[in-house]
Formats: sequence, C-alpha cells, structure tokens
Amino acid sequence: MDDSNERKFQKELNGGLVGLVLLAVLAESNEDLYGYEIAKRLANANEGTSIFKEGTIYPVLRALSAGNLLTSRIVPSYSGPPRRYYRITEQGRSVLAEWKLIWASTRDFVDRFTETENSEIGHSS
Amino acid sequence: MNRSAPRSIDQYLRQLREELAGADSALIQDALYDAEEYLRAEVAAHPDKSESDVLELIASTYGAPDEVAGAYRDTEIKVKAAMATPRKEPHTALGKFFGVFLDPRAYTSLFFMLLALATGIIYFVLAVAGLSLSAGFSVLIIGVPFFLIFMAVCRVVSLAEGRLIEAMTGVRMPRRPVYQGAALGFWARIGEMLRDRRTWSTIAYLILMLPIGIVYFVIAVAGLSVSLSLIVAPIATVLAQAGWFGVGGIEAFSDAQPAWAFHTGFGIPVLGLAGLLLLTSLMHLARGIGRLHAMFAKTMLVARSAPGTPEPAESGAPLAA
Repeated sequence: MDDSNERKFQKELNGGLVGLVLLAVLAESNEDLYGYEIAKRLANANEGTSIFKEGTIYPVLRALSAGNLLTSRIVPSYSGPPRRYYRITEQGRSVLAEWKLIWASTRDFVDRFTETENSEIGHSS
Repeated sequence: MNRSAPRSIDQYLRQLREELAGADSALIQDALYDAEEYLRAEVAAHPDKSESDVLELIASTYGAPDEVAGAYRDTEIKVKAAMATPRKEPHTALGKFFGVFLDPRAYTSLFFMLLALATGIIYFVLAVAGLSLSAGFSVLIIGVPFFLIFMAVCRVVSLAEGRLIEAMTGVRMPRRPVYQGAALGFWARIGEMLRDRRTWSTIAYLILMLPIGIVYFVIAVAGLSVSLSLIVAPIATVLAQAGWFGVGGIEAFSDAQPAWAFHTGFGIPVLGLAGLLLLTSLMHLARGIGRLHAMFAKTMLVARSAPGTPEPAESGAPLAA
C-alpha cells in the first residue's frame, strides 16, 4: 500500500523533528503553552492539518521536560483534567540553537541531492 | 485489527488503555491523562458539534488510539536510552563489585534510605490523623468533606512520593495524577473512590512507611558509621602514633593498649580494608533496596489498570509497530 509507505516514511522523519519544532514553538511564544494549544498552533501553521499526529507531541513534551529543556506548571481547567503549561528553559534555548544548526546543515545536505533530480547526480550509472 | 472508531471520550480512553496493555502502568496513566486533556479541550473548543462528531475527526488530528499508543511506547524507549548515562560495564568480578561507586543510583538510593525516616514520620502522622479524624467526624456534617480533603491530600502525597522515588531509583512512576472522569456524579465519584483498591493501598503505604523508614534509616546510618570509621582507622592510627591526638585521655592505638589482632602494623590496614568492603556492600544493599522499594511503591501507589478494566479478550490485541 502506497499510503502506509508514505506514512511510515513521514513517521521516521518525524522522530527527532517533533522535539525541534516543539522547542522552537515554545521559544517563540511569550507565554506558557499547554499541550492542546501547542497542537493547535502547529495545525494552524499548516492549514489545519499537522504534519504529525497531535497525540505524538505529548510524550515528546514530557521527555523534553524530563531532560530539563522545559519547565512546567499545572493549572486547573474547567474543561477537563488540570493542564500542564510548558515554558522553555535556558538549557532548552541553547539546545534549540544547536539543533537548529544541525537541522539547517542536514536540510542543505539533503536538498543538494533531492533538488537536482535531473542534474549530474542523477546520472551516476 | 478492525475495531470500530471510538465515538466518545470514554470509548477512546478505553481503546487507548487496551492498546497500551502490558506497558508500564505509570506510562499508561500519563498517556490517558494527556489524551483526556486533549479530547476534553477539543470537545470544549467545538460547542456546536456533538462529542461523537468531534471524535469522528480525532483519528486525523490527535491520532487513532493505536498510533498514540505507539508514540508513547517509542518515546519512552528513546528517552530511556537517551537519559541513561552511558556506563562502561566492568567485566571482572572485582570491577563489578567496586563499580557500584560509579553508579549514581547507589548514592541516591542511600540518600533515599536516610530520608525515609523523615518522610515516613510525616506520612504516618498524616495517614493516622486523617483516618482517625475521618472516623470521628463521620457522624458530623463535616465528615464527608473532611474525608474528601484527606483523600485529595493522600493522592498529592503519593504522586510526590512517586516523583521522589523516580528521582532516587530511576524507576518510572506516574508524572500525572489519576484523573477521574468528570461524567460521574459527586456521590458516584466518592463510591468509585471507596471501591478503588488504590485508595486503600495508598493509605496502607503511607502507614507502612514509618516502620520501613526506620529500618532503612538504621541500616544506612549504622552501615555508614561503622564502615567509615573503619576506613578512617588506619589514618587515625598513624596520626595518633605520631602524637597528633589522643582519644579521651587514652592515646589511641598506642602501645599502652592491650595487644589484639588488629593492633599491629600489619593489622591496622586490614581494618581499613574491612571498612572499604563493608562500605561497598552497603552501596550494593542500598541500590538493591532502592529497586525493591520502587517495585513495592509501584504496586501500592499506581493502579494496575484504572477502574473499568478492559475486557481480557481485547486487551491482547496486536500493537501497531
């Protein structure tokens, strides 16, 4: 099935990117955000559909928090269980800066091959 | 696996719990909590739609229960691998024995044992005072509210204890409290709480922590003081023989002392060696106790699977990789 192959590839790509995007969103934000809000921001940035399933950001948020890249506080909510609001830490900002560089160089490297489909790299035989 | 898509929050959470069957109980509690936060917020954000309409789209936004379960399992494995300090495993028996000094868990477990007396006293007082006051107040109008406050405090304390244990021993404990469905009525929730095995095991844990804490504290203090004094003994001997100090008017380890096996130039270092062996054993013991205690705390403080256990026939369903 083509569709499941695409999804599998997308999922593998997302592995480390979710963490990078979450750190970037929280670094941009002036206020603390909770899981649902972050999920909606990501979805809105991409015309309503997030690249990754919103359910997958929660475990990553907790992992980042456990790694001291984020801090969190709990605020009671009317609509459901108390919400956990996240904020990026200083350590998180420095990690984000490193990750951005890694991402930029990775993206450039990949682009070098994928954006020259008909150029000399394609004729390796 | 061709299961009908969930049409309500409760159905979704039940399916998620089934998908996570066999995973760490603390992870299940966290995953259910996160999903409930999202789903309730999503339903609240669309007041014009019914709950089942919102749930219909949930597979494409939040993800179907099996996808979400997979994400939690994957992330947990990755985080564990990333967080674990890469430690070169010593190969020789001697290296393994003394390698315990390089394991931060041994130190934190030892610290936990020392701390257990203090926390044990607090927990014991809290549980005994809460229970007896609840019993006494039960005939009064403040009986029910008091009992509820007591239960809420117990839950907070058990979550805090879980965090402490995870920090000290590295065993996964819940990071979120158990959230009880808002759908239930006030009295139904109290009934649910009284029937919940975890409510009573939490109180039992708080009471048991006093005797357990005393034992841990005694082991830690006795082990540390004996082994450290033995290790210091050779140094003290050398200093005493050099005439630097005496103990209680008696010159320590001087020739005026009765001669016994360790009171020789050869015997003194043996004392130090014995102290070192004892200290190493204590570190091993502390690490072992830390692990055992974490297992004990998990069975007492974390629900095996929250109320409304899934049907056994479906719980063994294969998982999406």
